[in-house]
Amino acid sequence: MAIRKWALLAAPLLALAATPAKAQDGVIRIGVTLRMVVENGLKYGQMVKDEFEAVNAAGGINGHKIEIQLLDDECKPDKGVSNVNRFIHQTQVDLIIGSTCSSVSMPMVDIVTKEEIPLVIPQSTNQDLTKKGSPWVYRVPVSERFYAAVHAKWLAENVGKKVAYLVTTDTAGIGFAKQYQVYMKKTYSVDPVIEVQAQETDLDFRAALLKIKSMNPDVLAIGGQADAIARVSQQSYEVGIPSRVRRVAASAASNAPVPELGGDSVKGLIYAAAFNCNDERPEAKAFVKLTQTKYGVRCPDHDFSQAYDTVKIVTQALKTANLKLTAGSHAADRMAIRDAMANVKDFHGLASGPISFCAAPTPQCRDGNRTGILVEYTKGGKDYDTKLLARVTFDADFGL
Amino acid sequence: MLDYIIDLVIIGVSIGMVYGLVALGISLIYSGLDIVHFAHGEIYMFGAFIGLTLFQKLALPYVPTLILAIILTGLLGMFIERVFYRRLTSGGGGYTVAGMAMVVSGFGMSILLQNIAFLIWGPKALPFPVPHGMPIEFGDLALPMSYVWIIGTALVLMVVLNLVLKKTMIGLAMRAVAYNKDIAYLSGINVPLMISLTFGVACALGAAAGVLIGPINYVQVQMGVGILVKAFAAAVVGGFGSLPGAVLGGVLVGVVESLGAGFISGTYKDVYAFVLLIIVLMVRPAGLLGVSIKMKA
Repeated sequence: MAIRKWALLAAPLLALAATPAKAQDGVIRIGVTLRMVVENGLKYGQMVKDEFEAVNAAGGINGHKIEIQLLDDECKPDKGVSNVNRFIHQTQVDLIIGSTCSSVSMPMVDIVTKEEIPLVIPQSTNQDLTKKGSPWVYRVPVSERFYAAVHAKWLAENVGKKVAYLVTTDTAGIGFAKQYQVYMKKTYSVDPVIEVQAQETDLDFRAALLKIKSMNPDVLAIGGQADAIARVSQQSYEVGIPSRVRRVAASAASNAPVPELGGDSVKGLIYAAAFNCNDERPEAKAFVKLTQTKYGVRCPDHDFSQAYDTVKIVTQALKTANLKLTAGSHAADRMAIRDAMANVKDFHGLASGPISFCAAPTPQCRDGNRTGILVEYTKGGKDYDTKLLARVTFDADFGL
Repeated sequence: MLDYIIDLVIIGVSIGMVYGLVALGISLIYSGLDIVHFAHGEIYMFGAFIGLTLFQKLALPYVPTLILAIILTGLLGMFIERVFYRRLTSGGGGYTVAGMAMVVSGFGMSILLQNIAFLIWGPKALPFPVPHGMPIEFGDLALPMSYVWIIGTALVLMVVLNLVLKKTMIGLAMRAVAYNKDIAYLSGINVPLMISLTFGVACALGAAAGVLIGPINYVQVQMGVGILVKAFAAAVVGGFGSLPGAVLGGVLVGVVESLGAGFISGTYKDVYAFVLLIIVLMVRPAGLLGVSIKMKA
């Protein structure tokens, strides 16, 4: 009797698991995977969903509704891969947006290339993502090959060329240091004073910082995610590295937790980014007001702005794509979206520069934004503030 | 050069005490119950969050915050043991089925606690700004007062715990339960209560570590993951089950890491800790202050 009861309970569940979601019912399905294990992530994830829902409320894309499946990958590659497989095999999406962390986006590129599904990267900066040559991949943010040059040139000309690197083991942090080193070697024939790699979860960087201090560098380059940048910045003062040694960090330094956690120690810290919340353009001001009123974020960083731009770019591309959305058109629809993305030219959104794509599967065509800005923290803590130091636009093949 | 070495040792001792403080709780659970608790990092995280909540929402001064967080987390530990672990903790430890099940349950509890903390406090790393005063300066090196608190508290807790275990009736009962539960039963000791108490005290130690580390290492859901590995290394180096050994192990791990990072490379910081662990296990398998032969319940 008990077995029969269990069987009755299990049968509909098994049936549900075995039946794939309806893929071709006139709905455009988009899978979104982002790092939402941080508070801002939850908010920009919600913003992406809200913005697509606003498109639906305004009549959808040429009469078709958009359905969003939003998942958190926690900045972990295995979760990202699992999310993408779920999008492809269960939900049968037409397009994937993701991810925040380069280490997650990296394996995603391989999967979408094999499965032939367009992927729009909203926030990852590692330059290898587009160097893999996948025809299915587009990147909205600024590649680190541009970022590195933005701060490297400014620091070399205004501060000095003796650079010490302290980098945690995440893909974006390593990429940041590598690109900075390549630029310094190529442009000024300068090698690093010292390079130290640490675990992302390390509590204490002081021993490494003490060694860096003994090398007397001009610049301390900090690669890693927000918490590590804040911690290194703070501990660098504890070991007595003077404020004349300029601190520069990977683009994750633009995330609010860095000044909030690092407090006064981030004053003077510089980073390259794609958006600054003090931007005076009307569209930027309207966006900042939106995040303040709707999401309670006083000063949105470029993860927010890039997520927002990604929605707008995808919406624009979907409108021009010749979608059938019938039972037999799945592959053709994905291809149509891919090709429509390649036609996005001179998109002026919140980003530091115009975003353009083209058809060739090369970084020149697929790194959409080639303008980086250099930002400095002028105040740390909860009411942190920043100022713009420089804005640089590069040629498409710069740094390749 | 001497200044440089001294600076590295100071750094090593200060971070080593952090490892030692977490290792104290792990060691107490092992010495008392013969089990390894893999959710101890999350207990430490919970303690930090409870402390932060008391400090910010109730605006309590730091010392009452620390004491209250220790008590509340201790009670939480007793609750967890009573509700989730009781059938396993009274079933035996070590290589028994219950002992192995306890290891698996520890992993499960770790995930559960992380998710509960995520729901209560959210995913954001939170600063724990405690006005401890100006750092102590050793030449160019500034040692934040938080580290002085950690060193002092770790030593006090270790001494108090040793005294309680060795000089009080409750301590005697806890040791009796650790030695042999059946004989402890026959002697009229309330064994389940002593098991709960041991677990609660160990969790309270975790909370102390969390609240003390909060001002240095921001409070966040995943803060227990990284430190657990180092604390295990510290506990094993010092001698699993030995309380002074846990603190000594922590300091050794911290100093070796620091000297390695200073003289060889910071890239291999974790390697130094585990090389030390391997060497100690080869030379003294029971750890530096461990007892090699001990009957367990």
